[in-house]
Amino acid sequence: MKAYNETWIYNREIVRQADNWCRRNLLTNEQMDTIQRTYPVGFQQTNGYLEIGLFLFTTVTILGTYLLVSTFFPALVDTQASSSVFNLVFGALVAGLGWILIQQRHLYHNGIDNAFVITQTGFLAFGLNQLFPPGLSVATHCLISLPLLLMMLWYYGDTLITFFTVIVTYAMVFDWLLDIDGGRPAVPFVMMGISAVLYVLARQTNRRLSRTPYYADCISLTQWCALLGLAASGNYFIAREVNRLLLKPIPAESPELSLAFLFWVFTFCIPGAYLQIGLARRNRMLIILGGLGLVGAVMTLHHYLRWVSLNVALIVGGLLLISLSIAIIQYLRQPRRGFTDAPDDDSPDEFFLSPDTLAAAQTVTGIQHGHNDNVKLGGGNFGGGGASGNY
Amino acid sequence: MSPTDTLEELRKHGILPAEQVNQLADYEQKKPFSVHWELRALLYVGILLLSAGLGFLIYDNIDQLGRGALLAAMGAGCLASLVFAWRFRPDWTLEHARSRSSFGDYALLLACLLFLTLEGYAQYAYTLFGTRYGLVTLLPALLFLPLAYRFDHRGVLGMALTSLVAWVGVTVRPLELYVKTNFFDQRTVFSAILLALLLIGIALTLEQRRIKAHFTYTYLTIAGNLLMIALLGGLFNFESLRLGFVLGLFAACFLLDRYGRRRSKDHGGSFLFLLMSAVYGYIGLTYLFFHYLHPVKWGDGLYYWYFILTGIALVVYLMSQLPKAKPTHESV
Repeated sequence: MKAYNETWIYNREIVRQADNWCRRNLLTNEQMDTIQRTYPVGFQQTNGYLEIGLFLFTTVTILGTYLLVSTFFPALVDTQASSSVFNLVFGALVAGLGWILIQQRHLYHNGIDNAFVITQTGFLAFGLNQLFPPGLSVATHCLISLPLLLMMLWYYGDTLITFFTVIVTYAMVFDWLLDIDGGRPAVPFVMMGISAVLYVLARQTNRRLSRTPYYADCISLTQWCALLGLAASGNYFIAREVNRLLLKPIPAESPELSLAFLFWVFTFCIPGAYLQIGLARRNRMLIILGGLGLVGAVMTLHHYLRWVSLNVALIVGGLLLISLSIAIIQYLRQPRRGFTDAPDDDSPDEFFLSPDTLAAAQTVTGIQHGHNDNVKLGGGNFGGGGASGNY
Repeated sequence: MSPTDTLEELRKHGILPAEQVNQLADYEQKKPFSVHWELRALLYVGILLLSAGLGFLIYDNIDQLGRGALLAAMGAGCLASLVFAWRFRPDWTLEHARSRSSFGDYALLLACLLFLTLEGYAQYAYTLFGTRYGLVTLLPALLFLPLAYRFDHRGVLGMALTSLVAWVGVTVRPLELYVKTNFFDQRTVFSAILLALLLIGIALTLEQRRIKAHFTYTYLTIAGNLLMIALLGGLFNFESLRLGFVLGLFAACFLLDRYGRRRSKDHGGSFLFLLMSAVYGYIGLTYLFFHYLHPVKWGDGLYYWYFILTGIALVVYLMSQLPKAKPTHESV
């Protein structure tokens, strides 16, 4: 039993995909209506801007209540023990109220429920950590908070909680490494290892839960973070500068890394591999991270070698990017090698209306509807696309 | 959930016949992968890097490079971009029009950015405009505005409006209100309010007459923010005129909110104005509450009730505005 109605989330995903096909006239409007009736979604509708406002004002209300109660009854926050109990109880009350609102108002990522999840997790984590004696290391605090975060993640499937969980995991390992002998030189390698483990875990979870979209956003976010973490930990600039900051006293010049060559290889090969695998598997995440990583790699190279001055580097880089994108856009005027320059699924366009697919769909729907020859395939719903949206 | 899972589900429930399922599965498998937005982002970043690089280059090497040669080269680049954009210009229409080349819009953007660099350099090197700094910011505005209309380019329109705002002596950045405020000067505040009202009036008139009605959103976002910040600035700083600013702020909030609600019904996406109205109004109200009622003296943190009650009221209000019908695709 989880916080949100899993059937509705499942239905929502089915309707979303069907809507994409309907926009391309691959489903008839009648079929789309049937799908919408068969897969009802009862959640309160939402909107990005209103979500921001609702999140903001819900947080203000909850924090106001917290401060009011703690000012009214100062004894509650007098000692660490009482404060801890107060935070835990307050967190639990917020969670309870949030649960009632989610159930009654059918909230799903409306800003209000997000604010409840974040604040309750904050109070609970704070209270939980106060149960332990002061003076613990950051790693220990992270270790204490991690089970709570994972529980919240399982129950709510919230993306912000996912982000905090990933950050806390990284922070825990990082701080723990600094405490043990010989940990400092191992930092980049262990961080790369952790990133790889996180990525594999997310991928496996994705495979196991492929039939339920409840955690789809969380899994995707974890993969983004893990891949970014892997490329960043292997980057020569980051490894060298972090190493400098960890030395005591901090030297003015960052000393050369002992395995410099290896890091240079990582700097270029990890994003390169992302890009190659991304292009081969049509994976948008890998393509974007690979591209950004390669830009980062070139900037790293420029930072240490300084073959040209900054402004020349900017001009050359800018010209290079412009020519590269123009060349690819020209090349992809016609779809080639499985890639196209035509806009996404989300924007309606004529491109995907290939006569072959249309004819096929028409034949099929002709069979289904029997006598109804007037089924108009051209009458699909083109109105809801993102292309008419606001920038 | 992969499309295959969805298709299997729809087939199992008898909504789609097996043959259509196969067609759709085939379509999903064979449809080309779109890199449209990635390539546009790449192009955009390239243009920004190039114009930034050129900007740095002329200031860094002002003594070594021949001034005239540099100006000529940049002018030629600017002109070439503009000519390219003109060659592929969209047909003139009062409706939304698109450039006939994928690169037309970007060429125009590059031309405008180069013009800004060029103009800045000309002022720096030759003090072309003397001490009339207003002219330096007004010129791009006067140039970009017609370009934005002719080429139907909302980015250039944004640049034109920002130059206009800069001309009045303020930059519309809410976060910088305290850091870099010009709002201690009454003349600045009033001219900002006047400019904002003028722009809003123009935008609404043009929308009504269906002249590039899709520009209204850009106009209102920039002018609306300017108006609200100027009103807040006036409310904070000018004790004697406070009542006027308070009335102005709440009237503006009311109208913005009404406009947002009306448009969100018709167009399915003007919730930004609702959010602006709520946030700016809340800031003004909170300031007045603490300034006049001194609730800190009430003791025992009673003023926290203010945050609780107003927070709940705004949540309830915004909740009631959530779209009822189909989800909107308004992006943030």
